Amino acid sequence: MFSPAVLGQVFVDGIGLSAIYILIALGFTLLFGIMRVVNFAHGAFAMLGGYALYYLYGGLGLPYLIAAPAAALIVATVALVLERVVYRFFYQRMFQSMIGLLGLDMAIMYLAVIAWNAEERSVPPSTDALLHMGSLVFPAQKLIIAAIAAIALLAFYVFTHYSRYGLAMRAAAQDVDIAEAQGVNSTAIYRLAFFIAIFMAALAGGFYAQTYALSPFVGEPQLMIAFIVVILGGMGSIPGVALGGLLLGFANSFLGTFYGSATSIFVSFGAVILLLIFRPWGLLGVKEA
Amino acid sequence: MSKPSTLDSTLPPRFASQPTAHAGTVRTPRRWLAHPAVVAVVIALLIALPFFAQDKFVLSVAVTTFITAIAACALHLIVRTGHVSLGHAAFMGIGAYVSAIATMNFGLPFPVAVCLAFLVPAALALVVGPILLRLTGKYFVLVTLLFGEIVRTAFVNWTDVTGGSTGISGVPAPSPFFSGAVPFYYLALGFAIVIIGIIGRLLASETGRVIDSIREGEALARCSGVPVLATKVAVFMLGCGIVGVAGALQAHFVRYIDPTSFALEQSLNLVVINVIGGMYTLIGPIVGTLFLVLLPEFLRGYVELQHVFFGIVLILVMAFFSGGIADAGALLKRIGAGRGGAR
Repeated sequence: MFSPAVLGQVFVDGIGLSAIYILIALGFTLLFGIMRVVNFAHGAFAMLGGYALYYLYGGLGLPYLIAAPAAALIVATVALVLERVVYRFFYQRMFQSMIGLLGLDMAIMYLAVIAWNAEERSVPPSTDALLHMGSLVFPAQKLIIAAIAAIALLAFYVFTHYSRYGLAMRAAAQDVDIAEAQGVNSTAIYRLAFFIAIFMAALAGGFYAQTYALSPFVGEPQLMIAFIVVILGGMGSIPGVALGGLLLGFANSFLGTFYGSATSIFVSFGAVILLLIFRPWGLLGVKEA
Repeated sequence: MSKPSTLDSTLPPRFASQPTAHAGTVRTPRRWLAHPAVVAVVIALLIALPFFAQDKFVLSVAVTTFITAIAACALHLIVRTGHVSLGHAAFMGIGAYVSAIATMNFGLPFPVAVCLAFLVPAALALVVGPILLRLTGKYFVLVTLLFGEIVRTAFVNWTDVTGGSTGISGVPAPSPFFSGAVPFYYLALGFAIVIIGIIGRLLASETGRVIDSIREGEALARCSGVPVLATKVAVFMLGCGIVGVAGALQAHFVRYIDPTSFALEQSLNLVVINVIGGMYTLIGPIVGTLFLVLLPEFLRGYVELQHVFFGIVLILVMAFFSGGIADAGALLKRIGAGRGGAR
């Protein structure tokens, strides 16, 4: 069963899954690292991203490479209203944010049920083409997803490391008070980080809806993914997200293919619990004082 | 080594910054709810209820309220130590499955099954507690969330014992006598009064003060000779055992159990009940239960809107007054005091 062809398939699946996982978790870790907010509503925004893609690509028939970013852009822009109305009350208040944003998650999820009812829909794949590489056959869609995710991640890296706003963002993540004393406008930085985080989540939500299915309840598994990836890598650590996403993506692809999805859940959750016990700050995180 | 308590920043400012002279007056709004006379009247009304309302719907809503109140108060016990568990329904589910399997497969009588439903979750809590309770704050929340998912996955996949996702149907009534609606009402009421009474007594005792001291200042409590971890584990075991009993009652009341009744949503409900009602007093989860069980039962037509409504309430409570509804009086006073300029 461990033939090269199957292993190759597992590898390709792993890349596709990792790309989605990293995108989801990156926004989650950003919100945690900068605003100290545990965004329990992260999955809800990903779900909204799925619906936005459903209408723009499946409904209006826009070209995929425009529809995918546009869908995420719409969700992130609308979410800015929530930033004003809800999120700003929870900045730097970790415990309250968990429970309060659970409430937001619940509200968004059931508003979605009211708006779109609970039935499952499917978002059409970006392309039906199959790629042949030696004995390997896989859908080109997976590569497109991975490519868009890679571009988004690269843009994010360049932004945080080579622009003034990125520098301000990193400064605010380290110490808000000192950053403010140096003239960083933390309100604007928070809004920017929030926008980026929701954009990534919505983008990932679109990919997720294409890979699996779309319903108001798909937010929950995506929230779990964000949790696991972020805990694996270390809360607030951006390289940690990349490592955690790759680990979880490949582990899920491998275990899911050979041992079934239940085993895959047991192993990944169990590993995360063990990690939390012995190294709660994650593989690449920094131990808190 | 100073581990910050989960709840430290959620404390209402009156604990920290208000002059102590205010403390006595601010506490009164919820004191009257716990006054022995009020409690006695409420219990008397509950005992009298079946004489006025023979309606099966009313009685079954009441039983659901009692069971949920037991479960929420069990979680309250753990919350008081400064740990918010997002996997409490898992222990409730274990209690339900243990009791159902004990009565159906092994033919044990109901009292023995309930004892098992207490002991098995408590034993599991004894095993995992010393490990989980070392974590604080967000890490504890996350790890219990994952723990709950693992237990749920076990319920779904351990088909030989748990019946998989179809669950177990035909769970027997506690005894032929208790199969009627009114007798079961009194059974559940009895359990609720005794268990909540024990929890209330415990929290009011010296042990309760030890628990509060662990939440408010763990390092200081340790320095004062409090066996912090042992106390936490003991409270965790008790909370998990009690919620197991609640699960057993639910299994024998609904006569049917399946994994979805003990999934994340139920865990969330228990947390929501505690948060909405108020986390620092035992009245909190009871008020929260009334809010969360009774309101939906009487507004059945609008299930989705209820969830939206609860979500918004949750945001408002967490953003503006973390004392919960039971503390609304205190909040009003604080606003009044704020207007007068005496902050």
